[in-house]
Amino acid sequence: MSIESFSVWLDKTPLSLEIKGAAWFVPAVQTMHIAAICVVIGSSLLMDLRLLGVAKDVPISVYVRRYSPWIGISIAVLLLSGITLIIGEPGRTLGNWVFWTKMALVTLGALLTAVFAVPVAQDEIYWDSGRRRQAATLIATLSLAVWVAVIVCGRWIAYVL
Amino acid sequence: MDSFLIALESQPFAVAIVEGASLFPWIETVHVIAIVTVVGTISVVDLRLLGVQAHVASARRLMAQLLPATWIAFAIALVSGLLMFSSKAVKYAANGPFQAKMLLLLLAGANMALFHVLTHKDIAVWDTGRTPPSAKLAGALSLALWTCIIALGRWIGFTV
Repeated sequence: MSIESFSVWLDKTPLSLEIKGAAWFVPAVQTMHIAAICVVIGSSLLMDLRLLGVAKDVPISVYVRRYSPWIGISIAVLLLSGITLIIGEPGRTLGNWVFWTKMALVTLGALLTAVFAVPVAQDEIYWDSGRRRQAATLIATLSLAVWVAVIVCGRWIAYVL
Repeated sequence: MDSFLIALESQPFAVAIVEGASLFPWIETVHVIAIVTVVGTISVVDLRLLGVQAHVASARRLMAQLLPATWIAFAIALVSGLLMFSSKAVKYAANGPFQAKMLLLLLAGANMALFHVLTHKDIAVWDTGRTPPSAKLAGALSLALWTCIIALGRWIGFTV
């Protein structure tokens, strides 16, 4: 089954019709989606800025423990609300290259967060050692750029195709 | 009022936004990046006011660290919002969700001003400890208002 025929089939399923049925439902799910992005951006901004060397008097591990769980929860909310939106309007997303670019970027963003956060669970000062500073700067910069690019793609799904 | 809105719509930048196919989506993209930064940073402060610990114990320090970023992002959201408004000023001004969004923005501003006047002056008392009920109320109201502002913003896109 090709993506197009899957998308056409999905569009006709009772669940998809249900999602399309009530005018308030899609904007409400989109609102949840944006609220979750706010949490991802707020959390990564704080973690990544700390990794870049801002507010150094607080240990990196404090930031990771405080904010990385929120990123995990938010990504789960984003996936659930995102899947709901796709079921409602599969034609808008599944055949859209901006959507797939966004999915690749989300995967990269989640991986970068894990690369940052996981070692800290074992070793609280993992990123503080001199030779890891460069890698930390790269990860933090890349992570911020990736999440911003995710938002750009998210908005442009509506305008491309 | 209508003549002002029509004059706004005929400004060169407003005409350019209507006519340039990709200008509106790019401004909208900047608006979304700005607003998620506003809400993302302000929520950390709101949660601290509600009693959820942040990365620093001091509420005053947390606000000093985060609120400048919130304000810069808010300024960007305001300018990008005004640019989008100018492209269809008459329609937006008459749009219910748009009017409600502006009202809630004013309420969010009033909530913040009241917090600063009434609660923030005693911050030395509760800075690193439990927050007073008035701070909790301000935090809860701010979270609720900003969530509704996002919802109304999304609604505008479906109703204009």
